[in-house]
Amino acid sequence: MNLNYSDEQNMLREQVLKFCETNYDFIDREKILLSEEGYSNDNWKQFAELGWLAVPFKEDNGGFNFGPIELTVLFEEFGKALVVEPYLSSVVMSGTILEGSNHPEKTSIIEKIISGEHQISVAYAEPNIGYNFLDCVTAVSKDGDGFSLNGSKSIVLNAGNANQFIVLATYEDAPSLAIIDADAKGLSVQSFKTLDGQTCGELTFENVSLTQKSILASGDDAETLFNKMVNISILCISAEAVGAMTASYMKTVQYTKEREQFAQPISNFQVLQHRMVDMFIETELTKSLLIKATLQLDSGDPETENTISALKVQVGKAGRLVGQHAVQLHGGMGVSNEMSIGHYLKRFTAIDSMFGNTQYHINKYKAK
Amino acid sequence: MDISFSEQDLQFQEEIRSGLIGDDYPSHVREKQEKGTTLTKQDLIDFHKFIHRKGWMGYNWPVEYGGTGWSPVQIYLFLNELALAQCPTIIPFGLGMVGPVIYTFGNQEQKDRFLPDILEFNTWWCQGYSEPGSGSDLASLKTKAVLEGDHYIVNGSKTWTTLAHNADWIFCLVRTETTQKKQEGISFLLIDMSTPGIEVKPIITIDGAHEVNSVFFSDVKVPADQLIGEEGKGWTYAKFLLAHERFGIAGVPVVKVQIEKLKKITSNYNDSDLSKKIAELEIDIEALEFTELRTLAAIAEGGHPGAESSILKIRGTEIQQRLTELYVEAAGQYILPYEGPEGFESNRKPAGPDYASSSVAKYLNYRKTSIYGGSNEIQKNIIAKAILGV
Repeated sequence: MNLNYSDEQNMLREQVLKFCETNYDFIDREKILLSEEGYSNDNWKQFAELGWLAVPFKEDNGGFNFGPIELTVLFEEFGKALVVEPYLSSVVMSGTILEGSNHPEKTSIIEKIISGEHQISVAYAEPNIGYNFLDCVTAVSKDGDGFSLNGSKSIVLNAGNANQFIVLATYEDAPSLAIIDADAKGLSVQSFKTLDGQTCGELTFENVSLTQKSILASGDDAETLFNKMVNISILCISAEAVGAMTASYMKTVQYTKEREQFAQPISNFQVLQHRMVDMFIETELTKSLLIKATLQLDSGDPETENTISALKVQVGKAGRLVGQHAVQLHGGMGVSNEMSIGHYLKRFTAIDSMFGNTQYHINKYKAK
Repeated sequence: MDISFSEQDLQFQEEIRSGLIGDDYPSHVREKQEKGTTLTKQDLIDFHKFIHRKGWMGYNWPVEYGGTGWSPVQIYLFLNELALAQCPTIIPFGLGMVGPVIYTFGNQEQKDRFLPDILEFNTWWCQGYSEPGSGSDLASLKTKAVLEGDHYIVNGSKTWTTLAHNADWIFCLVRTETTQKKQEGISFLLIDMSTPGIEVKPIITIDGAHEVNSVFFSDVKVPADQLIGEEGKGWTYAKFLLAHERFGIAGVPVVKVQIEKLKKITSNYNDSDLSKKIAELEIDIEALEFTELRTLAAIAEGGHPGAESSILKIRGTEIQQRLTELYVEAAGQYILPYEGPEGFESNRKPAGPDYASSSVAKYLNYRKTSIYGGSNEIQKNIIAKAILGV
């Protein structure tokens, strides 16, 4: 057993950390949130130049052939700075599905993702099915020589900026994954801000026509590929949460050392010290499950899916505790939108709600 | 001991209940409350004017100052009925805070000048307590008032001032003297918000709402006859005020209504985990409600419960916050689209349950409850010191 990051992984971490220190302080981030796209195109270009957009892809497709460990390194650092660029949706989610598919043009599409000129979002959630994504109402049906797509999808990350969508739909009572262009006839997109300052959207499909080629996978293949995408996404947002927890407790420790009340730094008060210790303990426990799940996924361990559920539960509970304590210990400053600390709480809340919340994964774990 | 309300109390309750469904209730306020839309300043004024027309405005005041002279049990029933009818919360700054300070410690001229407008809701008050450097340690406040002739000259700043942007007047704790014991140099001053030298700047909270503000004072000239009581006694009045805030501090009637709503919303979710969590919270609410009733009973007997009211603050805010968590859990992933406390316009509403957006707003907004009004940590210190004697 070896639980040390490699030199290469440490270098990647160092690089992301430096980038965020230079380009991603809280004021830079606020400006990005107010922009129309909701992320910075300049940053996205730099991500491409630094090679980050190539991290998870196979060498055949122009990638670096890195695995989940490198992704979690990247996301942990993103979490510390609350990075809002659409890496999860455009690289991790759509990349995983595309790379696992038999799409004839996948290499050229992935090349365009890696160069930063192309973004794809995965549309998996729907208005009425909660977390049972595979029970979707949105359906593909035969239509002459081709197919057509009807239905609607909600909470599609970065929908307003995507050039293409990968849509989870039902075809002949089995799941399928179809890729469509954002300007396809019959598709309409409505964008919203999310609670943590990112963007999402809703897609409506009215007889959107598909060719055989646009069906990326169907049946069991589609289900396997979709579940793989969910697992790797949970890993990434959990790593992000670990980064956000680390930043939250460190910023809180710093603040309580500086903030004086009753003629002393409030960090002198034992009740606050213990709260911060709790924040630290939860962060470490989350990190443990993160590493365990990452290594299991990397090695194809059959226990992976259970560990991922355990991780998602720990992330939900720890995120709430760390986020709420951080706000409480900052007092009024904690609930002020001008301070970063409350934005971590918002991100924890968003992360818990994605890909099955705490209770959903408790039940999934229980049913193993 | 007897757990039931008297016949008179029940009759009183019925009077309030029927009064709140009458035609004279401002219907636009009712509609907005039902939809969960944020009320404007004018909406709140309309509501308070209605309460005044009913003769209920001084619900917590003695008769000699224009109040109702109601018993603690009647006050309890009144606040309960307001919540059940989905009324806005009565704004406490005039009626619950500065009013009682004025009628208890003010002179006759001040009583005549300020109390009628509070009862009629002609003036909107805000509370100038917290300062950037003085939160939990309120007595360390630095906003200075120096007497020059017949005016005080006030310099300094206040923060987290709720609804200061709506206010006509502010009651302030100011430092009139630098003393050995920091509590002794504090005075209680009433200031007209339109006085030159006052600047109000909004603070946006994490839910995106504008509720609180910073208030800056530079060479603000305040007539000396707006000092309440004696110079240097402000801390005593402030403590009196805190004790007076006791009514309704637990927010039980509102959470009872909100939890019923949540039960109704989730009744067809078939989610036994969530139902269990809701039931647990209902049990917490029952325990707190009866604790509040015990406090009221003690007051009715002429007692002066002190530090016990900290239980109401602590557990009340914990319950309020927990309830917002359950709403968020019920809404699941549909909480993600969120653009602020106003929700979405009807022509661009995201999918998912109607309550999703307001659940996020409340969850984020209610983090303040364990911080404001003396943080829950401070409340626990009070209990430790005053009750446990440690």
